[in-house]
Amino acid sequence: MRNISLLFKQFSRTVLLLAGLTALTTAANAQGDPAKGETIFKAKCTACHKIESKLVGPALGPQITSETDDAYLIKWIQNSQALVAAKNPKAVKIYNEYNQIPMTAFPELSDADVTDIIAYARAEQKKLTEGGGDKKTEAPAETGPSSLLIWGLIGVIVIAFIVILVLNKVIGTLERLLLKNKNLVIDEEPEVEGEPVDRLAGIKKLAKNKKLVFFVVLCGAIAMGSWSWVTMWNTNMHQGYQPVQPIKYSHELHAGAMKIDCQYCHSGAYKSKNASIPSLNVCMNCHKVVKTESPEIHKIYDALGYDPDKGTYDTTKAKPIQWVRIHNLPDFAYFNHSQHVVVGGVKCQQCHGPIETMSEVYQYSPLTMKWCIQCHKRTEVNFKGNAYYDKMTQVHDMIKKGQKVSAAVMGGLECSKCHY
Amino acid sequence: MLAMNKIKILGITAISIAASILVTSCRDKRSTGWEYAPNMYRHIAYDPDQANPNFADGKTAQVPPKGTIPVGFTRFDFPNDRGGYDSASVVAKNPLPANKKNFEDGKVLYEHFCSPCHGKTGQGDGLVVSHGYPAPPSYSKGQSSRGGAMKDLTDGKIYHTITYGVNAMGSYASQLSPQERWKVVAYVHHLQTL
Repeated sequence: MRNISLLFKQFSRTVLLLAGLTALTTAANAQGDPAKGETIFKAKCTACHKIESKLVGPALGPQITSETDDAYLIKWIQNSQALVAAKNPKAVKIYNEYNQIPMTAFPELSDADVTDIIAYARAEQKKLTEGGGDKKTEAPAETGPSSLLIWGLIGVIVIAFIVILVLNKVIGTLERLLLKNKNLVIDEEPEVEGEPVDRLAGIKKLAKNKKLVFFVVLCGAIAMGSWSWVTMWNTNMHQGYQPVQPIKYSHELHAGAMKIDCQYCHSGAYKSKNASIPSLNVCMNCHKVVKTESPEIHKIYDALGYDPDKGTYDTTKAKPIQWVRIHNLPDFAYFNHSQHVVVGGVKCQQCHGPIETMSEVYQYSPLTMKWCIQCHKRTEVNFKGNAYYDKMTQVHDMIKKGQKVSAAVMGGLECSKCHY
Repeated sequence: MLAMNKIKILGITAISIAASILVTSCRDKRSTGWEYAPNMYRHIAYDPDQANPNFADGKTAQVPPKGTIPVGFTRFDFPNDRGGYDSASVVAKNPLPANKKNFEDGKVLYEHFCSPCHGKTGQGDGLVVSHGYPAPPSYSKGQSSRGGAMKDLTDGKIYHTITYGVNAMGSYASQLSPQERWKVVAYVHHLQTL
């Protein structure tokens, strides 16, 4: 717990000044300390509440700002169920509005603590309403100078180029004038006429050289041959393929920086043939709460028909996200993920490469038959403690003892041996 | 003449090799490159993640019909509300034996599915939390939002939470099978003692 509070303190330091100022100048009825309130808010409230939008409970910014009766708020936050039981009309109304999900009681929070939270929520709401206006006016101002700068730079470069060209011409004419003055004018024209004749003659001479012609043709043949050889090897091989995906999901952030295990999303890799693209409910495990303002996350919301302000799903608006498949094996090759990951103990990165560093995924391995066979030849099978091979070692022991081995002993009675 | 030719020939071969390498290596990463007989690679059979015009919603991966359960699936008949949570606490008990294998499996599953938020030691200090996700309470020291200390959570309460989720935590029913959930429950009991 101490670690968390330290983290919050660090973060709050940056917000403290602004929050403190706005609270001092505006919130007359909240005498609490918003900085302290923030620490408590992040430790106790964030699991169910956000300032700007609805989560499990109402959006605290507008809710607490619109409610002016601090004594009621303090009572509600400390023990909401007592108010509902006492049939307080306001309490009963909001309790029913939120499907009668009771809010956790916080008897450990003192009146001063709750006042701090209220002050924090009001200060944040104030910042939000003011910040919204600021953003709109700031946005064009931010892009204005940057595009101006770029155009300015381009203009300067073009002008500099023109100046250099003009100067070059001037230098040329000046030099010619100087030479004229010294009576050292070189007749350029006859030389210019003579040159192409000379060149053609040279080429004609070279073309008559049979050895040279032979070598040129040979080199051409080698070049074409090697090009077509490499091209044929690369035909049907998608190594390096990096299509544009409908959502800019970064493995670098999720699997690299946050070290979320591959299995969290691709749980199928441990259980089935297909590693599976996670269904959107897996995304929503986190993104119901975090990064809710990102346009990329809103693509998930749109695909689910989810309304982030109300926290409701409308399945009639749902439409699946069409991810672009990168790794594709032909239908005549059978590949099973669980066999490799669970039985073989192969790390995901062995075939998929440094996926935790890819902000955009590409096909790392060639996925050719040669590549498969190479690994199958080199990999030593681990029989010990591997339930998959129990039957195999058992059969081998039977053969060694000279016992009769039937197809049934080797799993020949399994349904899928015939009915697949 | 021959000496001159040698240099020229060497030069031409070097250039042509470089050119052929350039031509073949300059592949567009957004395209799959040249394909021969693509009908053998883009198969007719539908993969689970593929679009499928045969279904109304256009997906191959269909939700099983209502009321069906997979073979070997154990049902959890406690509803997703306070009553279900409380009765699960009393009635539901971990059916798996508390052996080393189950414990080790539970540890791996916990680390893959839970530790991003709850932390490796269950203190609610996972890496996702340090990136801004609201912190869950510690298993050993925290207070449950539904009353009581986190260290006193029973089998049924933990299983109920994994199945349905609570507050900011989502449901893990689609990612963890009932067996796997019970393994995680056993490991969480270990974390409650830390």
